[in-house]
Amino acid sequence: MEIKSETSSPPEKIHLRPMTLSDIDDFMVWATDSNVTRFCTWEPYTSREAGIAFINDVVLPHPWLRAICLDDDRPIGSISVTPVDKIRGEIGYVIGSKYWGKGIATDAVRLVATEIFKEMPEMERLEALVDVDNVGSQKVLEKVGFTREGVMRKFMNLKGNVRDMVMFSFLPSDSLH
Amino acid sequence: MTLSDVDDYMVWATDAEVARFCSWEPCTSREEAVKYITDSVLTHPWLRAICLEDDRPIGYILIMAVDNIRKEIGYVLARKYWGKGFATEAVRLVTAEIFNEFPEIERLEALVDVNNFGSQRVLEKVGFTREGVMRKFLCIKGSVRDTVMFSFLPSDTLK
Repeated sequence: MEIKSETSSPPEKIHLRPMTLSDIDDFMVWATDSNVTRFCTWEPYTSREAGIAFINDVVLPHPWLRAICLDDDRPIGSISVTPVDKIRGEIGYVIGSKYWGKGIATDAVRLVATEIFKEMPEMERLEALVDVDNVGSQKVLEKVGFTREGVMRKFMNLKGNVRDMVMFSFLPSDSLH
Repeated sequence: MTLSDVDDYMVWATDAEVARFCSWEPCTSREEAVKYITDSVLTHPWLRAICLEDDRPIGYILIMAVDNIRKEIGYVLARKYWGKGFATEAVRLVTAEIFNEFPEIERLEALVDVNNFGSQRVLEKVGFTREGVMRKFLCIKGSVRDTVMFSFLPSDTLK
């Protein structure tokens, strides 16, 4: 008797590359989506001009930000590592909702966790802060091998609400899953 | 705390045991102490000497702004007065009042070195919540330390 296993869609192969102004239209796909921005500190974008300003003001000068791209080299999200201080960096990522549930964020985070300490050798700790309700993002970090350190109560003001946040970390000495 | 407290200040500030988990090195001269009190203590937005009945300081406790909704508590006590519940009492006093003084604050937190068990017990006795160990979180005197995060919210109950 053939037993059909439950197959998810085949894993998508992603690569990371710097983001440019020519990515504006792909950027607007996820940046205008309120499902995507739900746990982000920013509201959905409502104009192409605002998107261009964001790419010019934040993306291009960022110390470490990459577009997450599929085979066609078009971005479906982005991932960044922002220095907190000399020894700590914070990872953040956003993916278009059409591409959720395929392991893409997990792959992107794993790629970054593998490489970032070579690029930033003074960094001793890569951390992530995730809303208590953002279970999907917590699972990404757990799958990669981040350590869930605890829930920081009333830690961050997210669009006017003070939220409990889960703190995760990954050290150069940790093993990726 | 005032400049007239400098000699009492030196009792704990010169003590390497006291300075062990602090961000500062022990003080080595009265001039250095006067300078530190002038530059850092008198200008501090919220710092109080901890005094016994004779009104002489045996340590101090302070509150630092982290951002609009979070403040951090810190305290130091001369070693002679350790183990008597004084730090616990000081932290309890401050925690009881701080949200009245700063009604916009949603969270009072404390960061304690993993090896500083005495200070962890102070916070636990007052009723702070131990949220977890943040690995390689703080660089103290050139060493990157694991740090325990504690918090107390306006809605929490003092013990």
